[in-house]
Amino acid sequence: MSILIAVVSLLGTIAIFYTCKVFYQKFKKEWLTPMLITPLVIIFVLLLTGTSYDSYNAGANILTNLLGPATIAFAVPIYKNFSLLKQHAFEIFLSIAIGSAVAIISSFFIALVVGLNDKLVHSLVPRSVTTPIAMDISNMIGGSPTLTAVFVMTTGILGSLLAPIIIRISHFRSPSAKGLMLGMGAHGTGTSKAFEFGELEGTFASLAMVVAALISIVLSTMFFPIFEQFVMNILLP
Amino acid sequence: MKIAKSLVQIGYLYILLFIGNSIARLLHLPIPGSIIGLILLFLLLQFHIIKLEWIELGAGLLLSELLLFFIPSAIGVIDYDALFGVQGVKVVLVIVVSAIVVMLVTGYTAQWLEQRKKGNAA
Repeated sequence: MSILIAVVSLLGTIAIFYTCKVFYQKFKKEWLTPMLITPLVIIFVLLLTGTSYDSYNAGANILTNLLGPATIAFAVPIYKNFSLLKQHAFEIFLSIAIGSAVAIISSFFIALVVGLNDKLVHSLVPRSVTTPIAMDISNMIGGSPTLTAVFVMTTGILGSLLAPIIIRISHFRSPSAKGLMLGMGAHGTGTSKAFEFGELEGTFASLAMVVAALISIVLSTMFFPIFEQFVMNILLP
Repeated sequence: MKIAKSLVQIGYLYILLFIGNSIARLLHLPIPGSIIGLILLFLLLQFHIIKLEWIELGAGLLLSELLLFFIPSAIGVIDYDALFGVQGVKVVLVIVVSAIVVMLVTGYTAQWLEQRKKGNAA
């Protein structure tokens, strides 16, 4: 029985995802993005049938598992566009370093201001990095990796929905500005969105995502604990 | 045929992941094995130790279907009843405000640096 649920979960997730994709491509409405509709439909089905997340995930985690090799696969667009990367190395590095610091500090402060508990705060801090890395960081700084995975996803979905609006009101025209903000602000989901704008935007977003991951590991595991100590003991004793 | 080839190539990426994980564990690095694998693959391609054709199809398949792999983690939310109430609204608020700030800052920094470079060149 549990094997059956696992198989149905895996195949069902794939089927629902591609059905949503067809609708999204047909009607071209941002809020119809498969990233938003697929989880909602699946959650609805799970609640309706009384299936637990564990038994669903026993099959569906094959998909999560593929994030490992998929992260490695980003070496391909980076290799192909390496001359572009070298040409823009300084801009990429500086904007992503600033973006990563802002992501960590703003998540931390806003979470404190709205009064979330410790576990939630620490699970929110790594939210703008791609899932496998965010989960590792969360574990290292005392958050909950599964909660972080949910927050990373929410960031990806909301970030991709907000990005076109931000691009319009801020008049970002260059592929580098658009790609970097998408890869930094909404990681993998943002990168997919950036490829909808164009090949160059997508490449910049891929680079942003990888650089953000590396910088965030350093910032959140080495500097964040010191920063947090400082804020908690000196600013808010 | 193309599918079989892609699957074999994804197998190669899993080997790199395994190597990356092993390196992280042996050297006690705080970096996930997947990122080490990414850097390793990049170096192998850059130094022409492996050919792009050996992994291009599989890598392309994974990258084009990337969104699908994030879905099961998102469903994890159903295990956190507390997130369906006030806490959830607060969390969404944190994410929305922080995401807007991050994207504005990153975009403006990138644009400013690029314009400055163009100004210097002219």
